Amino acid sequence: MEIDSQTATGHFQHQRLNGGSINNAEVLLGTGSGSINEKNLTDPIPTVEDKWQLLPAFLRVKGLVKQHIDSFNYFIEVGMKKIVKANELVTSDIDPRFYLKYTGIRVGRPERTDPDAADRLIAPHECRLRDMTYAASIMVDIEYTRGKSRVIRKGVVIGRMPIMLRSSHCVLTGSSEEDMARMQECPLDPGGYFIVRGTEKVILVQEQMSKNRIIVQVDGKGFTSAGVTSSTDERKSMSYVFMKKGKLYLKHSMISEEIPLVVVLRAMGMTSDKEIAQLIAGVDPFFLDLLSPTLEEGAASKLFTQRAALDYIGPKTKSMGRRPGVARRPAYEDALDVLGNVVVAHVPVNGSDFRAKCVFLAMMARRVLQAVSNNNKTDDLDYLGNKRLELAGQLIALLFEDLFKRFNSDLKINVDKVLRKPNLAREFDVHSQLMCHGDLITQGLSRAISTGNWSLKRFKMDRAGVTHILSRLSYIAALGMMTRISSQFEKTRKVSGPRALQPSQWGMLCPADTPEGELCGLVKNLALMTHITTDDEEEPIKRVAYALGVEDVALITGAEMHAPNTHIVFLNGLILGITRSAQRFVRQFRTLRRNGRIPAFVSVFIDDHRKTVNISADGGRICRPVIIVEKGVIRVTTEHIQQLLAGKLQFDDFLRLGLVEYLDVNEENDCMIAIYENEIKPYTTHLEIEPFTLLGAVAGLIPYPHHNQSPRNTYQSAMGKQAIGAIAYNQLNRIDTLLYLMVYPQQPMVKTKTIELINYDKLPAGQNGSVFVMSYSGYDIEDALVINKSSLDRGFGRCQVMRKFSTLVRKYPNGTHDRLTAPPLLPDGTVPERFKFIDDDGLAPPGTRLENGQAYMYKQTPVDTSGNPDSTTIEAPRETQYRMTPMSFKYPDPGYVDKVMVTTSDTDQTLVKFLLRQTRRPELGDKFSSRHGQKGVCGIIVQQEDMPFTDRGIHPDIIMNPHGFPSRMTVGKLMEFVASKAGAVKGELQYGTCFGGSKMEDMCRILVENGFSYTGKDYVTSGTTGEPVGAYIFTGATYYQRLKHMVADKMHARARGPRAVLTRQPTEGRSRDGGLRLGEMEKDCLIGYGASMLLLERLMISSDVFEVHICETCGYIGYKGWCQMCRSSKSMVPIKIPYACKLLFQELQAMNIMPRLVMEDI
Amino acid sequence: MESSQQPYQGQPVAARARATTYNCMRCGKFNELKPREPIRCFDCGYRILVKERTKRMVQFEAR
Repeated sequence: MEIDSQTATGHFQHQRLNGGSINNAEVLLGTGSGSINEKNLTDPIPTVEDKWQLLPAFLRVKGLVKQHIDSFNYFIEVGMKKIVKANELVTSDIDPRFYLKYTGIRVGRPERTDPDAADRLIAPHECRLRDMTYAASIMVDIEYTRGKSRVIRKGVVIGRMPIMLRSSHCVLTGSSEEDMARMQECPLDPGGYFIVRGTEKVILVQEQMSKNRIIVQVDGKGFTSAGVTSSTDERKSMSYVFMKKGKLYLKHSMISEEIPLVVVLRAMGMTSDKEIAQLIAGVDPFFLDLLSPTLEEGAASKLFTQRAALDYIGPKTKSMGRRPGVARRPAYEDALDVLGNVVVAHVPVNGSDFRAKCVFLAMMARRVLQAVSNNNKTDDLDYLGNKRLELAGQLIALLFEDLFKRFNSDLKINVDKVLRKPNLAREFDVHSQLMCHGDLITQGLSRAISTGNWSLKRFKMDRAGVTHILSRLSYIAALGMMTRISSQFEKTRKVSGPRALQPSQWGMLCPADTPEGELCGLVKNLALMTHITTDDEEEPIKRVAYALGVEDVALITGAEMHAPNTHIVFLNGLILGITRSAQRFVRQFRTLRRNGRIPAFVSVFIDDHRKTVNISADGGRICRPVIIVEKGVIRVTTEHIQQLLAGKLQFDDFLRLGLVEYLDVNEENDCMIAIYENEIKPYTTHLEIEPFTLLGAVAGLIPYPHHNQSPRNTYQSAMGKQAIGAIAYNQLNRIDTLLYLMVYPQQPMVKTKTIELINYDKLPAGQNGSVFVMSYSGYDIEDALVINKSSLDRGFGRCQVMRKFSTLVRKYPNGTHDRLTAPPLLPDGTVPERFKFIDDDGLAPPGTRLENGQAYMYKQTPVDTSGNPDSTTIEAPRETQYRMTPMSFKYPDPGYVDKVMVTTSDTDQTLVKFLLRQTRRPELGDKFSSRHGQKGVCGIIVQQEDMPFTDRGIHPDIIMNPHGFPSRMTVGKLMEFVASKAGAVKGELQYGTCFGGSKMEDMCRILVENGFSYTGKDYVTSGTTGEPVGAYIFTGATYYQRLKHMVADKMHARARGPRAVLTRQPTEGRSRDGGLRLGEMEKDCLIGYGASMLLLERLMISSDVFEVHICETCGYIGYKGWCQMCRSSKSMVPIKIPYACKLLFQELQAMNIMPRLVMEDI
Repeated sequence: MESSQQPYQGQPVAARARATTYNCMRCGKFNELKPREPIRCFDCGYRILVKERTKRMVQFEAR
């Protein structure tokens, strides 16, 4: 076949979908009016009213963070049981009669660890406040021997598992809003994160190449190679079949050199050349030609029997941790072992039947040949269908498996230790041993989640930064974090492939939401409707496939396999068999899935180019729901939607009724998806639910994003996360390290459907400002904004900053402890000014106004906290010496104590948390942004009297310079302007949903109806001169966000200040009141200008000047007037050098290098 | 309450120490707590208490 692969695929597809009746070109171009049913053209296009209503229904059952929750639930309910089943038996080397068997495992509900708690269930918010871990007990059922009897125990606690919020075991699932309020939890909080030691931790979604699939690539040496990452429960390994000088070889890390493929196949028992040739090339003479050098090499090797081939491979295998003492086994057994268990490990080998593995290797070889023959057309590594997403559940499963194995091996060691004792006083009960190991799993899990370090020796996995602290800067920041995907690719590589937007990301990953800079394109975000699959059971799918006419590979020859009209069927990358009618098979398979006989997330698609049918049921595939269209008829009808709205149908019912189905990226490629109803053609198989779902949650906030230049949407996606607003309904009960809250947040005048779906209208971050687009004064250049002072007085942009300061009243190992107490009085009986607000309990009460330097907590710490408790301290505790360790307010602007919380932590120590509050009105230099990537700082605050006003007396809150528009091309902002104005005039909210929203024509009509110009421009009078402004001014309203970058947090200057101890140079950074650095480039400027004295002043005199005395005779630093080296006072001279320089000399001396200073007159 | 017998890590400080008022974060009940007492609401047993607002006058600048 010489047809180019692309057209070939297209050709097959259309033939299949049209029944081959229509001219392909006509269908492709959409011009086939003649042959398509005439009736369709004149008929009104059937539309489904409000089909977007499926979206909220979807979000109700799946939601934005549902992938995290589903994955965790799968782990708790299925994964954990599998792990325990695989490691169920613990035996002893000492007593052969002893055994311990795990018969079951369960996770309870999150409970307190306090022994005397009345209400055992614990709510997440209490864990946040008390710095505890939101965890539930892991309980196992065990069966073991005690002496000669068999004991069964149920519900033995072996550790605590951190629980994901809103997962099936969380106390919040199924709670009503009232219950949530009672638990001080926000009903809009997405969940999907963990609370470990009081901090909220998210396990980000990780992107990886898919396992167990053949991927053809050109490797580093330029050879075309087909590689597979096999991943089984025991091991992970990479195997490659590649072509070198026209011959095929196998490469694997456990075999020291590449082995000719024919030799490998012979070692696996496939000794006949004809069988090999048929299996790889079929009867195609072209492929047979390509294969002949490989076969010739096989013949030349003279290794014709299986044993001969094994003997050849044996010495080249690398030993697999051979145990000492065990006799060395013959080389051919090594080879058999490696070939059977390590090479393409995921293909099962039954006893010595290697056929399945041979067929798989042959398939890999065939893929190499196909690639070579087709101009080295390799697989696209960036194609989303070749990727899998790893979620919290999988990562925790790996961790738990590791810990459980370690737990069991520790247990075995201890059991052996006890049983080794000759005669036990009591019969040995393993239960007591089990109890004393409780911390291993608990500690291991909470340490990994709180540090983010996943280091598992078995899988050679050592990943740092798996978890992140959930960003609570704004509601959107938290939500955006839950949909984030981080890529495992190294960021140093210069290739653009992994960073580029892939066409297959359409509808799966958000095209706008990615950071700028080094992680651009590597960190992605999920689109609104994506779902990530979990593993489905393979066995039933296999049975269905065989029932639908798949012939087992074991029963067919290579010639039959590669015959025309035959497709090879794969299940999760494993060859299942062949089918002679792939179309019918796939059709029937899909029908079964639509009827719910096969899990909804199992995907099937035909690869016409490779002539394979691929069934996938593995976890981590990205998929999304679409409406099914059959023969041009949309399955979902208006009646269905009405029933949905009436609450008679749920989203899952749509799935069950076969109206909607999930498509993964690969199956999507096999379908014809129409975006709108009017695009449905006879060959259409699916219809989009709503096109705006291709954006993610964060980019979904942008009104009219389809009219913006694309980078602007990306900028807004980054800035939306920095906007100050409402964080959660429980924001005032939270005590976070840093919390920014807006005083009067408003929902945007121009909303989007996404905004409503993600509840941004309930927890907004911004305010609608009246905006004039005009120049005003010179303080609005470079995107600076002019802000109305009266608006600020009315609360525009006002925000609060809450900071947490906490202290632990510690107990020390020597029996001493901290104490909170009233501060000591001055000799005259008055309280020192600094401590005047502190009560008898050592804490300042809420409401106290704190100035810089004022203390809000007075604590005393024992001077000596080390050593063991000896009798003296216990008998006479009052003799302990204390020093004071108060905490003082250290910000220049005053703040207020908002809340003082006292509680007891996990370790039974008193924990005190202070929440300090500052209210900030916008000032010069504070940062603002609209929702179109248009950021700017406040350049000047103008009295309202000086502001321009329209003939209706409307003043602006913000004046924006029109220079912001031409180069940025944010037409969406202009449209938001007009829509907001129209909405404000009419008294209703407008929509700016992507690919839809309120039409400009309607907006302009509203304006005209209300006496405004349809252009949005108005007559304006100058506030300073009272004259009309010489042009009509574009006035309207825009949603403005106040960003977290505020001058009050950054303003810094110093004349004199602290110095570092070691170098005596000024300290660095605002927090240490540091100096302003005269850096490398500034230094070069001064040198270039020749200002040497200025340079000397900046670098030495104002920094770390130091006078040393140098002996002119020996050149060493001495005392003033005395050289200890020469024992003389004759030739000492004082010079000024930087202290750091003196330090350098001394350090050099310390390592036996003697710097001498030679003096000279200038 | 039986838990009041638990040893508290704090030691008796000066005789000046008097009870301070805290509110339970769950039920809002007033709790008079002396320095060495365990932190626990007398009424509902909740272990998070919040200090009562200051009795001093607080003056804000309305700007």
